[in-house]
Amino acid sequence: MKEITVIIRRDKLPETKKVMDELGYPSLTIQSVEGRGRQKGAMCAEMDSEMPDSYCTSVKLTPTPSSYALEHTLPKVALFVPKRLLTIVVPDDVVIKIVKSLIRVNQTGKAGDGKIFVSPIDSALRVRTGESDGEAIA
Amino acid sequence: MKMIRAFIRPEKEQEVILALEGAGFPSLTKIPVFGRGKQKGLSVGPVHYDELPKTMIMTVVGNEDADKVVSIIKEKARTRFIGDGKIFVSPVESAYTVRTGEATL
Repeated sequence: MKEITVIIRRDKLPETKKVMDELGYPSLTIQSVEGRGRQKGAMCAEMDSEMPDSYCTSVKLTPTPSSYALEHTLPKVALFVPKRLLTIVVPDDVVIKIVKSLIRVNQTGKAGDGKIFVSPIDSALRVRTGESDGEAIA
Repeated sequence: MKMIRAFIRPEKEQEVILALEGAGFPSLTKIPVFGRGKQKGLSVGPVHYDELPKTMIMTVVGNEDADKVVSIIKEKARTRFIGDGKIFVSPVESAYTVRTGEATL
């Protein structure tokens, strides 16, 4: 079994859920998170249209140099973009197929599309019936 | 690759994030969480707090950087009082950037 952790744009969640339904793996856990990536989030007001205005402070569009930030106390140095984090546990053999579908659905070509992480899961248990591993996630 | 999940004090969040950014690890996800540890929460006089607010910082880095990131978080989040939090490191087999579709961090 593998755990697929996906961080995606908030407005792509319905489409992502739909595509997971179609693939036959509708089970997922959704979390509302904030994060940033290689662009440090500071440029996100320009690149990420979903960014609410309240996040665009005076430092908007100014990439904060870490050296400056470490020496000075800034009110809001790190800007974080609201995202959705999905956790999906699936059998080994469908991981590639699901990752490809997730990329296809969530790709816009602009910074902020998100990341997908695949990690191993040792065991799974369905609490209701006590089924374990493969049966628990089927 | 390694996924590092650090449960830290919310007031130390800014300091940890700045230190990570300074060391060249700007990418992370933060999640506000509630939890308790070995001390089963916190008792202040007659009031018992069972679940305490923490910030979970999640980041994925290369194998060679994991120790460095852990030591930065460890150093910056430490107050030496109970409730400083925990850091968990778990394996990640592959990572994809959605924008490009490439299998890179």
